[in-house]
Amino acid sequence: MRHLAGGLLLLLAMPPLLRAQDSVIVIDPDLPPGDSAVVRGGPPPDVVSELLAFYNDSATTRVQGDVSFPPGSEFSGRLAIFRGSLRLAGRVRGDIVVINATLYLLPGADVEGDVLVVGGRLIRSPGALHRGRERVQWDAVPVLRAPDGTLVLRERRRPLAELAAARTSFQTGRVRTELLLATGGTYNRVEGLPIVFGPTFELRPSSRTLARLDFRGILRTAGEGNRLSSNFGYGIRAELHFPSGGVAGRIYSEVAPFEDQPLSAAENGWSAFLLQRDFRDWFERRGGGGAAWVQPTRTLRVEVSVRRDHESSVRATDPWSLLRNSDRWRRNPLSDDGHYFTTGVQADLDTRNDREHSTTGWLLRARYEHSTSDDLAPLALPGAVRPPLTTGGGYAFDRLTLDLRRYSRLTPSLRVNARLRADGWIAGDRMPVQRRVSLGGPDLLPGYGFRAFTCAPRGFVDPSEPALCDRSIVAQLEVRTRLGLNLGYRLRDREGGRGGRFIGIEEADLVILGDAGKAWLAGDGPGQVPVNRIPSLNEWRTDVGVGLDAGAIGAYLAKSLSEDEPVRFVVRLQRRF
Amino acid sequence: MRAFSLLHPRLRRPWLALALTAGLGASLAPGVAAQAVRLTVRLAADSTSSGSRAPVVRSENLLSDGRWLSALRSGLPVRLHYRVEVWRSRGGWFDAFERQVEWDVVLRHEPLLDQYTVLTIFSGRVQERRYATLDALSAALAFAYQVSVRPAAIGRYYYTATMEISTLSDSDLDELQRFLEGDLGEVAQGEEGVGDALGRGATRFLLRLAGLPSLRLEVRSTTFAVR
Repeated sequence: MRHLAGGLLLLLAMPPLLRAQDSVIVIDPDLPPGDSAVVRGGPPPDVVSELLAFYNDSATTRVQGDVSFPPGSEFSGRLAIFRGSLRLAGRVRGDIVVINATLYLLPGADVEGDVLVVGGRLIRSPGALHRGRERVQWDAVPVLRAPDGTLVLRERRRPLAELAAARTSFQTGRVRTELLLATGGTYNRVEGLPIVFGPTFELRPSSRTLARLDFRGILRTAGEGNRLSSNFGYGIRAELHFPSGGVAGRIYSEVAPFEDQPLSAAENGWSAFLLQRDFRDWFERRGGGGAAWVQPTRTLRVEVSVRRDHESSVRATDPWSLLRNSDRWRRNPLSDDGHYFTTGVQADLDTRNDREHSTTGWLLRARYEHSTSDDLAPLALPGAVRPPLTTGGGYAFDRLTLDLRRYSRLTPSLRVNARLRADGWIAGDRMPVQRRVSLGGPDLLPGYGFRAFTCAPRGFVDPSEPALCDRSIVAQLEVRTRLGLNLGYRLRDREGGRGGRFIGIEEADLVILGDAGKAWLAGDGPGQVPVNRIPSLNEWRTDVGVGLDAGAIGAYLAKSLSEDEPVRFVVRLQRRF
Repeated sequence: MRAFSLLHPRLRRPWLALALTAGLGASLAPGVAAQAVRLTVRLAADSTSSGSRAPVVRSENLLSDGRWLSALRSGLPVRLHYRVEVWRSRGGWFDAFERQVEWDVVLRHEPLLDQYTVLTIFSGRVQERRYATLDALSAALAFAYQVSVRPAAIGRYYYTATMEISTLSDSDLDELQRFLEGDLGEVAQGEEGVGDALGRGATRFLLRLAGLPSLRLEVRSTTFAVR
């Protein structure tokens, strides 16, 4: 009966999703996905009303906490308990209501009257006797005890999404306002630590429709000399989300990276802050744009976007770093300044079971961009890298980025992950410096040094080490298995045993990895690869490695196979891909 | 050109790195010490003529391990992530992974009411229940889950069930909620949220290193044949 009651409670609240039968919940993955609305279980309103009326009745004897009726004791009348436990081993003549507490009917208990237990269990020992109606509901009743001793209903707490927001927010009518003060983007050698602040307004006309207006000011903390148009940036974004799509508009003045590798933004920020190593290059962009997207299924999203912005060069300054603060930062490369008008199409297919710790599924992200400029002020690059560009109007180029990942399991304990990443020029005039690519570094080819392959011609010297390649392609493969490490110390628990908290890393993935990639200039010149061809595999650079990935931190050793490079030690703060 | 990586500019002493790896390897233990928490997977009664059986997964004694209760009462949500995988047994070769099903249970403690909230989240559906006593919460957490993933094709199969218990930070909870809602926006834009770039990684690392409890259990069912 106890199990049946609990199971039925679940059955009532989750009809198609989880059908409970007895104490079994049925998970049916073939049901259509829900709308994320929270279905709240709990005792029915009439039961809550009944127990409140019973408890608050002046003729009821109310107790609270842990109460025992020993063998031989006798009680007559209406009895109610709120929180704690009621242990009955004596006789009770009358109805009993148990609210958010547990009722124990111990050997020798003899109850004559109805029993209602809500928010707790009824645990009956052999030999206990009960004559009367018995109702048990495990779900808690949201009630509080008022100063006059009666019980009152308390409103439910905010749902998960609202609870999760760590930012200050308040509600005015149907508009939710959130005030934000945070670090934005990442620590870098141009801005230092950007401080982002401003309000966000959200209006939810329905559970699946959302309008959001986001104002963000960006305060740059680095010193003078960065050539930014201002030490104050901004980003204003308006979004309208529908159940299967949305539209957004945005204006901005921000610092953006040339490439999104060789490390993630977070890792790059830590590297810059701790070690004075900023792996990314930066330019300033000011402008605006819009996007519209459809998401016909949970896993597929297609977006079209348009933007027009002014892109300009910025210079590295000398922000503080924890270590090597006396070193000089790598110079920031110049970019091809001008106004760019860019239209793009992006498709995302994401069937991964988890975004950060995927064990199965696909991720496909493909983006095609067409950019034009009428006032380009191009840099002079060596002719082997790029022929002189069109100025005075008519400059146009196309770019494609592709990221395909597969996460799969070879055996229950062995996982195999693979990734193919391609990025580069497709057609039109050759790309500006801020769109060019390179390879080498801790992420894509960890067996090689940072920017080992920049396509810079022999004799070309630039201390900023700019990425100059037209195209790049990388394939990555890794095999993972879980290991118990116990690198650390386990504290003693309250009883003095070694079952307490573990300080350190208990488990990690053993990772065996291999990478192959190539970055190249497209064309018919010496050392270049014809435009319509991808370099053959024997031209790719390869490396292998091994590492331990504890989730929040991983350490790897990697060695190149194609060149005489030293073994490299890499620390990552997230998975490789 | 000067080469460098995230923490060490270049490991000029490969033997040091190898020694470090060897040291790590030497300390590998067979696994986490035995915990009171237990995960079981059994086969449901044979209800089809083909012999196909559904898995029934149950976790036991979760609250008898005081770490989770302590985390809950410290205001930290606890996430139970369940995963059931269907494997086809192929003697002499790698077994074939067929499909998997995942769901989550998130526990929170509400100190004002001294109640525990249990969110069961599966395929865009969220159910919230509250329990006022540890007895009721324990009993609710011990419910079995019967997963409708019975294979139909002829062959020999088994199930693996995994339960990962972790303590969540607020940002983790936020990210989990967005993912469960199927929000691809941030991922599609290839951007990290404002304030997250430096903060989230550090928070997770510190939470992990500081010993906030986490546990991973994996069990395998007996093999059955589908005719």
